[in-house]
Amino acid sequence: MLLLQVIVGGLLLGAVYALFSSGLTLIWGMMNFINFAHGEFVMLGMYVALVVVTWIGGGPAAFGLGAAFALFVLGVVVYLSLIRHVVRGPMLAQILSTFGLALLLRYSAFWIFSANFVSLPQTSLSGTVNLAGILMPVAQLVAGVVAITLTVALHLLLARTALGSRLLAVAEDRNAAMLMGIRPDRMQALAWGLSAGAAGIAGALMAIAYPWSPSVGETFGLTAFVVVALGGFGSVPGALYAGLIIGLIQALSAYWLGPVYKDIVVYALFAALLWLRPQGLLGRA
Amino acid sequence: MKRTSALRVAALAACAAFLYSIASPAADSVKIGILWPLTGNAAAAGQASKAAAELAAEIVNHAHPELGDLPLAKTAGLPNMGGATLELVFVDHQGNPSLAQQLATRLITQDKVNVLLGAYQSSCSFTATAVAERYGVPFMVGESAALNITGRGFRWVFRGTPIASDYARTYMRFFTDMRKSGTTIGSIAIVNENTDYGTSVADAIVAEAKKADISVAIRIPYSASSSDVSAQVLQLKEKKPDVVIFISYTADSILYMKTMRNLDYRPAMVIGDDTGFSDPSFIPAVADIAQGAMNRSAWAIGKPGSTTYRINEMYKAKTGRDLDDTSARNMQSFFALADALNRAGSTDPEKMRAALAQTDLKPEQLMMGYQGVKFDSTGQNVLAATYLIQLHGSRYELVWPDRAATAKLQWPMKGWTR
Amino acid sequence: MRYGAVTLWAALLAYPLVLYNQFYWDIGVGLLLAAITASAWNIVGGYAGQVSVGHAMFFGIGAYAPLLVYHLWKLPPVAGVPLAIGLSLALAVIIGVPTLRLKGHYFSMATIAIAELIRIFVGTWDLVGAAIGLQGPAVGRGWWDLTFRSEIPYYYIFLGVLAVLLSVTAVVERGRFGYYLRAIKAGERAARSLGVPVQQTKLKALMLSAAFTSVAGSLYAIKTGFIDPESGFGILVSVQMVIVAALGGAGTRLGPLVGALVLVPAQTAINTWFGGGGTGLTYILYGGIILVLARFEPGGLHELWHRAAPLLRRRARAA
Repeated sequence: MLLLQVIVGGLLLGAVYALFSSGLTLIWGMMNFINFAHGEFVMLGMYVALVVVTWIGGGPAAFGLGAAFALFVLGVVVYLSLIRHVVRGPMLAQILSTFGLALLLRYSAFWIFSANFVSLPQTSLSGTVNLAGILMPVAQLVAGVVAITLTVALHLLLARTALGSRLLAVAEDRNAAMLMGIRPDRMQALAWGLSAGAAGIAGALMAIAYPWSPSVGETFGLTAFVVVALGGFGSVPGALYAGLIIGLIQALSAYWLGPVYKDIVVYALFAALLWLRPQGLLGRA
Repeated sequence: MKRTSALRVAALAACAAFLYSIASPAADSVKIGILWPLTGNAAAAGQASKAAAELAAEIVNHAHPELGDLPLAKTAGLPNMGGATLELVFVDHQGNPSLAQQLATRLITQDKVNVLLGAYQSSCSFTATAVAERYGVPFMVGESAALNITGRGFRWVFRGTPIASDYARTYMRFFTDMRKSGTTIGSIAIVNENTDYGTSVADAIVAEAKKADISVAIRIPYSASSSDVSAQVLQLKEKKPDVVIFISYTADSILYMKTMRNLDYRPAMVIGDDTGFSDPSFIPAVADIAQGAMNRSAWAIGKPGSTTYRINEMYKAKTGRDLDDTSARNMQSFFALADALNRAGSTDPEKMRAALAQTDLKPEQLMMGYQGVKFDSTGQNVLAATYLIQLHGSRYELVWPDRAATAKLQWPMKGWTR
Repeated sequence: MRYGAVTLWAALLAYPLVLYNQFYWDIGVGLLLAAITASAWNIVGGYAGQVSVGHAMFFGIGAYAPLLVYHLWKLPPVAGVPLAIGLSLALAVIIGVPTLRLKGHYFSMATIAIAELIRIFVGTWDLVGAAIGLQGPAVGRGWWDLTFRSEIPYYYIFLGVLAVLLSVTAVVERGRFGYYLRAIKAGERAARSLGVPVQQTKLKALMLSAAFTSVAGSLYAIKTGFIDPESGFGILVSVQMVIVAALGGAGTRLGPLVGALVLVPAQTAINTWFGGGGTGLTYILYGGIILVLARFEPGGLHELWHRAAPLLRRRARAA
């Protein structure tokens, strides 16, 4: 019974991992670019939620949308001002650019909000639900369910809509897409917006359940890398499965081996994946 | 040739720039260099302690007769040095031990401070105190826990605060007391964050538990930056210890309390090893789910009108928050330092060192619940002690030892109220 | 060019005699250490273009081994240096063989993950001090413990190591090995078609880089007298190396040194002016500098100078 509890907890957290990793994998698939500041997007989503709650007094829907929108805008801005210029440059510049961005975002948050850990004041989502002996905090349950829904929605957007096909076309072959009348620049900006927006909502969802500070971005970023590697670079469904799997593995490792080893297991898995199956579960080789 | 000579100019210009910035005006004052993490993960603690130190300097530098026997409160400045005031120089080591080492060097050689205080993280205290020892400058360690900061045969390092083994012994004395009065304490669990702080204290508790014949059901080290601790709480639920001791920082402490509520887990007692449980954001976040949680603190605000109450009011006016135990311990170490400086009567290093070694403050002169301040040959305050406090409503009340208690101990803890 | 190099070395030699103060010497030592680590990274990251962001794994080994041999067997820390180099070379081979097959971003991510893994593991391993770390001799038992009261011996030792490293780099640069590295950086497939033994070359570069990074770690540990998982294997250690090299010009021999000459005093100055206030401004500026660098001048100061020099020369000639 306890084991089942561990599993459910892991899956719920994994769903949130899936959401914020889906954005990272989208960028990766489209532009072959890693965003080292992705974890900071999640962190900023958490703070936007805080600001919305404390200034405007909005509920979960309000701050969720607020985080999504604010981060969408940030993603587009980052693309237009920085990414599109470095993506054609040397590898070193690409890596440095988002590293620098990560530092800038993290310490700006630190400056504005201070280093103290904060959490959202009690929302309508407090309390626990008891389903067949398994205790699930409402906040985590909602976070998990919404995360899965949004990830699936993102996948459907990409796979079933015209806009989605345009995005994927650019990912597939930039030049061919241009010949078809698609504006790669616009699509990539949109992808960045979606990626950051997804990260933002994921942050807002996590904010309901967990406390945070400006430094949490680093851990989230690394987790996102692992999920993306497992799921396959460029595959949103892959990110969904991988997120759930990683959440599960983390919870089980913590339970069986001890909490300090859970990260070791995850990183070791990551390294193994990169060597043995770089394309992950569902990625394009 | 042009390329590298221009680069040289650039490098020299950068050097000149910070040369200019380092001014060290001499003044009729005693300079105290203070090294704390003002940015980085421990910044909240560093900032809170900074405010406490500034307040302490304020109290020493101006007359505060209402603060009773607190050393140097009644007078303005240091009476034995003609009213010389204390001047504080803060530096931010960012939690980086190498930077702490460099900044200690800077404080001594550039800013020409007379004494040093710091450094929060044990890693930074290790390196900074070594610099002080090398230069023969007294260093007062305010609150770092690692055992051998004062065990290296240094002459110039003093530590006012209790150390990990003191805390462990306090817990064991408490458990022994509880057993004597009939309470069952079969086993305990230790949940510790896995950096030097958590590991030192956990190690000490394991060692003392063995001596006190109390079994440790499980020890769970974890990373303070975990976002989810359900697995750990479920492990605890499985092992059923009577008491769980948490050695955690703020976010993880709150997370544990919330997770325990969510998973319907309530041991007979939870004890927090200060730090996270003492952070101002802890009580507001968990008051309704962690009633009866215990904490250790050598600091208690006390009754209105008492010296400690007044100090807290001053601190609240300055920062908007109550004084927390860590900052209070730093403040106490600061007062001990100031008292020694006054007795030395001069800034001659050997005289200051001798005065520190001869410190003998009585409990009535302290703001903390120590039994006094007296340093042994390694520089450790052997009279440092701590109270145990418990969350009743929305404040901590002093519940142990009995002689100082202001409220009755609640056992088992109530936990959540709805 | 020749005169420039000579004057640069002369300036470095004379620095402690000109700025005669322990604090400035300590900054100088920090500067040299940054130059050594960045130059070591440069071999595989700059010349070969394999951007490792996990080089702290070698630095950490280099830092832990000396303090470990002191902790366990009371040997002078410097005796641990050969052990450190050996372990680093072994690690380079173990992770190099599978990882160097990966391209671009994949390689970088793998290095990050492995370094993090090692950091967490070391933090749980009691033999090496777990989370608390290890200390060196507090007071030296003799000159061989290298615990000097003054910064000056450290300064010149570090300068010597830097000189050796840069000489090795020069030899590499001018020889066939350097040619292979540049070919690989320019395009692996093309290089392979020209007969360059790509995998072997990359591995050798990694090993050479690892050995020197390890030495840098040892120097750090001996000088600071303390190491813990964060200061040895932390991600900021890896990132700092990359930034210093990139700022000056990765893939050029003196680039990392130039980067250190600019960045270390700047960092110290920022920390002095703004540090006590505790607003994190240091890192905001740091991040900003990196961003601007990446966006506008990825080739670093070296590149900037290359582009400006002809203009200045023209101006001088016209004047």
